[in-house]
Amino acid sequence: MSHILNRLTFFKNRAGSFSGGHGVVTREDRSWEDAYRKRWQHDKIVRSTHGVNCTGSCSWKIYVKGGIVTWETQQTDYPRTRPDLPNHEPRGCSRGASYSWYLYSGNRLKFPLIRSQLLKAWRAARATLTPVAAWASIVENPETRAAYVKKRGLGGFVRANWNEANEIIAAANAYTAKKYGPDRVIGFSPIPAMSMISYAAGSRYLSLLGGVCMSFYDWYCDLPPSSPQTWGEQTDVPESADWYNSGFLILWGSNVPQTRTPDAHFYTEVRYKGAKSVVVSPDYSEASKFADIWLSPKQGTDSALALALGHVVLKEFYIDRQVPYFQDYARRYTDMPMLVRLEKKDGRLVPGRFVRASDFDDALGETNNAEWKTVVIDEATGRVAAPRGSIGFRWGEQGKWNLEEKAGDGAPLRPRLSLIDARDEAVDVAFPYFGGRAHEYFEHVEHPEILERRVPARRMALKDGETLVATVFDLFLANYGVDRGLGGANVAKSYDDNVPYTPAWQEKITGVAREQAIMVAREFARNAEVTNGKSMVILGAGLNHWYHMDMNYRGIINLLAMCGCVGQSGGGWSHYVGQEKLRPQTGWLPLAFALDWARPPRQMNSTSFFYAHTDQWRYETLDVKEILSPLAPQGRWSGALIDFNARAERMGWLPSAPQLERNPLEVAREARKADLDAKDYVVRELKSGALRLSCDDPDNPINWPRNLFVWRSNLLGASGKGHEYFLKHLVGASHGVQGKDLGETGGQKPEEVVWRDEAPEGKLDLLVTLDFRMSTTCVYSDIVLPTATWYEKHDLNTSDMHPFIHPLTAAVDPLWESRTDWAIFKGIAEAFSRVAPEVLGVEEDVVLTPILHDTPGEIAQATDVRDWKRGEIEPAPGRTMPQIAVVERDYPNLYKRFTALGPLMTQIGNGGKGISWNTEHEVEALRCLNGEVTEEGPTKGLPRIESDIDATEVVLMLAPETNGEVAVKAWEALGKATGRTHAHLAVPKEDEKIRFRDIVAQPRKIISSPIWSGIESEKVCYNAGYTNVHELIPWRTLTGRQQLYQDHLWMRAFGEGFCVYRPPIDTKTIKPMLAERSNGEKEIVLNFITPHQKWGIHSTYTDNLLMLTLSRGGPIVWINEDDARKAGIEDNDWIEAYNLNGALTARAVVSQRVKPGMMLMYHAQEKVVNVPGSEITGQRGGIHNSVTRAVLKPTHMIGGYAQLSYGFNYYGTVGSNRDEFVVVRKMKNVDWMDEPAKPHMEAAE
Amino acid sequence: MTNTFKALSALLAYPTAEIREAAEDIRAIIHDERLAPIWALNRLDRLIDELESLDLYELQERYVFLFDRTRSLSLHLFEHVHGESRDRGQAMVDLRALYERAGLEIAANELPDYIPLFLEFLSTRPIGEARALLAEPIAVIVALKERLMRRKSPYATVFIALEQIAENAPRPKDLEELRRAPDDDPRDLAALDEAWEEAAVTFGPSSEDGCPATREVLARMHRGEAMMQPSRRQEDAR
Repeated sequence: MSHILNRLTFFKNRAGSFSGGHGVVTREDRSWEDAYRKRWQHDKIVRSTHGVNCTGSCSWKIYVKGGIVTWETQQTDYPRTRPDLPNHEPRGCSRGASYSWYLYSGNRLKFPLIRSQLLKAWRAARATLTPVAAWASIVENPETRAAYVKKRGLGGFVRANWNEANEIIAAANAYTAKKYGPDRVIGFSPIPAMSMISYAAGSRYLSLLGGVCMSFYDWYCDLPPSSPQTWGEQTDVPESADWYNSGFLILWGSNVPQTRTPDAHFYTEVRYKGAKSVVVSPDYSEASKFADIWLSPKQGTDSALALALGHVVLKEFYIDRQVPYFQDYARRYTDMPMLVRLEKKDGRLVPGRFVRASDFDDALGETNNAEWKTVVIDEATGRVAAPRGSIGFRWGEQGKWNLEEKAGDGAPLRPRLSLIDARDEAVDVAFPYFGGRAHEYFEHVEHPEILERRVPARRMALKDGETLVATVFDLFLANYGVDRGLGGANVAKSYDDNVPYTPAWQEKITGVAREQAIMVAREFARNAEVTNGKSMVILGAGLNHWYHMDMNYRGIINLLAMCGCVGQSGGGWSHYVGQEKLRPQTGWLPLAFALDWARPPRQMNSTSFFYAHTDQWRYETLDVKEILSPLAPQGRWSGALIDFNARAERMGWLPSAPQLERNPLEVAREARKADLDAKDYVVRELKSGALRLSCDDPDNPINWPRNLFVWRSNLLGASGKGHEYFLKHLVGASHGVQGKDLGETGGQKPEEVVWRDEAPEGKLDLLVTLDFRMSTTCVYSDIVLPTATWYEKHDLNTSDMHPFIHPLTAAVDPLWESRTDWAIFKGIAEAFSRVAPEVLGVEEDVVLTPILHDTPGEIAQATDVRDWKRGEIEPAPGRTMPQIAVVERDYPNLYKRFTALGPLMTQIGNGGKGISWNTEHEVEALRCLNGEVTEEGPTKGLPRIESDIDATEVVLMLAPETNGEVAVKAWEALGKATGRTHAHLAVPKEDEKIRFRDIVAQPRKIISSPIWSGIESEKVCYNAGYTNVHELIPWRTLTGRQQLYQDHLWMRAFGEGFCVYRPPIDTKTIKPMLAERSNGEKEIVLNFITPHQKWGIHSTYTDNLLMLTLSRGGPIVWINEDDARKAGIEDNDWIEAYNLNGALTARAVVSQRVKPGMMLMYHAQEKVVNVPGSEITGQRGGIHNSVTRAVLKPTHMIGGYAQLSYGFNYYGTVGSNRDEFVVVRKMKNVDWMDEPAKPHMEAAE
Repeated sequence: MTNTFKALSALLAYPTAEIREAAEDIRAIIHDERLAPIWALNRLDRLIDELESLDLYELQERYVFLFDRTRSLSLHLFEHVHGESRDRGQAMVDLRALYERAGLEIAANELPDYIPLFLEFLSTRPIGEARALLAEPIAVIVALKERLMRRKSPYATVFIALEQIAENAPRPKDLEELRRAPDDDPRDLAALDEAWEEAAVTFGPSSEDGCPATREVLARMHRGEAMMQPSRRQEDAR
């Protein structure tokens, strides 16, 4: 046989060894490897994200196999950046990567749940009665009502079916609207940007009903009121990629690596590029590790440090040497050249309000809104003129609202910054000083509480006589204690002088070495000087959650303005707290608040609402005198904080909910009967006292909120400042409030708001919560509806951290009985339309709205505060009191309206931030895209909004950010007001229309729009204020510039005209508890701080065992080892922290990382996880909000005054919580409360 | 068709008026087929009696509290095996495939590992196969029995019966691991505290040291996997 046939030609035997005997071939079975192969097999990948209120907004790949979600990984397909800028991806952190378990978790809510007592009563009543009558029979009978109200928090849930649950809710809503008014139906949901359609589902239903949507940004204390005060802007910030363009970064009270995980890489990359990094944080935070310089000020004293930095910059860069870039920037973009009247107060001169054109006999030639035009002196000619761009130019005329250096008449104008070389005299001007006030736990520096400093001034002939005036710049420097060479007291010759606000002065208060403060200030400013403003401060909740947060923030904003950083790429302020950025906002608003059917919607600021309706005001210990300035102008400064809030409501500053003591549907009927316009009728009734606002008597049952919806939120848990007060008064459950109210303690009661000796307990008739897990709020609800998770629905998601819009999409259908939020509210709307005709038809509803920012009405109360109720002025809707409108509600057709885009979009158009445009073309496009309603009825022919995807298309089509054609229209509309052309910013994208399927394919970069102050371009990153600086669009403030001086009467009264240092307030919750309830262990007092955590996002994920395993399981607090030693606490001991507001229990983590005197408790650990009983309350230990109580600040109530006018989530009182102290001690007995069925059981099971 | 499984499935389902009306039939079927020793079947009487006599709302409240709200009593098998591990998804995919091979598709809005659903599936299988299949998650069945007995809940009797019907007793190691898992009933919180007790962190060169948290997580995941695929491992061993 031939050799060739004997041997293998194409094969060789697979046996033996290889690699010189180092490898051996075996013949083992390898089928086990299939397990691994199968492990990563999948049928499809779906794009979604995690709609927690996390700013990250990362796009994820969700892997689905056999209809079951198996795991998720990060998407990496974000559009690329330009050369020399790192890419955005990868985005996504361990929290997101551990989400897929949530879908199938044992904690998942699977069925609609209802309290059995309520269901039993309902079925019994319903056997003989119609739905609304059935509901009436339940809540009007005190016994049946109490039967389920008293069971809140105590379990007893049974499953309900959707039809039944919807009918109960619908009947309750219809009954409430009929009996008390639709404004007694309230809804709370936060952070729409994370899942816009889910938010809009509920708010659309409520708005069609006439119910009230509650704000969240201010309530969470994530709103920095300093932003509206300074810029007339809710919050606008650079995207994280812009950090990379910075040369000097300060992280101040922000913990980027921990809480901005997916963005932190830009911070790392820019350090490689050579940027300097300074971290300001009292504790050795994760961010501190990455700092070139770590400053560790005493918590809550940041404004002292900021003022000292400002002192150094002003001295070295404005006085010793003038930097042309800074001078130019201050002149053009800040209010520094504006003139301020100096007024007499007790023989001293104090800064008064801005000089206005109307103060001159000829009004400086200004015929339109002269009262709202501020005034400067021209450097070249000495002419006094009103520069363009102030708010008077914004309304009532066109083409002059811009930042060109021109007067109203078009003459060139170069405003003089300082009068030092053009003064008539140098006068002593008085400034308030609060830093000398003693506080038990904070250092103070003694100085008189009034400090006079010499300021160059001019005498000016005004209408009301000769008046001294000074520029903001000169007053501003005096306020900082900078020596101008004019002599006089209270100015510093050297940084070592103990004069407010020098580096030496701050040393004692903050504990930061003066040399360090000086170095940081110098380098920060020097970098800005050589880069034209590329110095940036990333600041966060660590500063903003203090009562005097405005001072912390304004101290830093001042620094940025001095150095010309705001509006420059790589510079400015970066406040990433609370995720306010719903990029396609103007497309979303009509859908969310049903503006396509009726305007205005009812919106309420939550802080004032909860303060009143959880009765936290009944325990108020902060006397207004404690926060009033020693230089407060003449005025009425007496009364309690709630009195101030009531005044603000009736003067049209803040919104009201409920609004009037009588049902607004009734009021409309009465007006008709009286043959009067509703407006005139309400004014007449209010003036005569025959009708009162609800805010005057919040505990009167006719003024209670009756139905509350909570969705996408854990209102009673993570978000309930004053948690125990919520439980006691609003919910009526068992609670841990320790303090007594003012009635019992004999404290000073409110002056105007009615005091009722008997405090209400359980104001709500019905509490409905939508969630996918049994949160603390669900535990206290009457009806709990299971919602779809983020992998089971279609929705939209945007963030301020990156410029992309991307979707949530349904990887699988909602599990068990759960439904999407859109489907749930659609279902309730459907049930409501069926049930309502029993008592409601087409009704007229009288709606009160405050004077709103970005509307022509915002220039309402120019120079004085006058209260119509005291007869100081006539009540005039929209001028001196709330605006009054009549809105038609078609209750039987509510469902039809819910599912169709209403006619107002075509009739009135769309718009936002003070500009409006025609949107007929987009409505027509939607009719083609979504189809039109074919059923007979009032919606026939209108575009459909049936599904959640239809709803996304409405948003995307109407918004300039996602529809280039609309963007061009919007820029053109703005151009009319400014007299400049801006459309070039959007014209290249005019034909781009982003649809839902586009973003499912890949995240899309949004289109530049005048709704925001930055631009999307290939040349710069998104940065706030960019268009103000580069397009000369005024800021939406009184002066049109960045406003560093706040001249409103109340601002001056409370000492915050200029930024000053204010120590934390005394909440007085400690003394009555110290040594009073001893368990034999040593007690120490610590400041209670609640930063964001590493293992969860708010309370979401803190019930994820994987995450908890990475941390310690259950609630923990961090304390310093010295404090621990004093109290005999060892690491991992159970401790109890308590004060008058309540108590919480946790394990102690003892660490040098924490500054002595403070205790960190990561926000927000859940009551449903591993909490033992409290020795103080005898209840299961509370949550972090158990020891807090909201305290209002009067300056946040101001309204009717340009940028200080109300806007939903824009301005208003905020729920600060860091001034709170707690008594801390080791627990003697750790009691797990393991007896069954006691009242406290449910809340912690 | 073995109706006992169907009857036990009904007993473990959310109590409704319909199930209540079937109570006597359930009793009859169980005793007719006598798949378990008589003592075990007799103990079911208490649950069936209560189903007939108690207020329906009370029954429902109890059910929601026990099975919808108490995680350690979840009626989803893999909650106890995989918890929040990613393997849970794959395990469900496998289980669903088993049903599909038998020509059944899940019609209810439920997960494949829901015990009443699983029992209904068993009722369609020949008794020998059903007993064998039931033996696979037997450790979970026994653990649930123990937890319910600690609560003195009559629902324990269903699991007692299942334990008797199954072909094999649980492997001691599997059961031990489940017994160690935290039981989140409020009446047993001391045990929960223990479960959360942290191991001390030690740093050193030894390969056995290192981060105890990681070790714990890994151990948990291994446990989950080990219990998940007993049958597969047996096959491999053959």
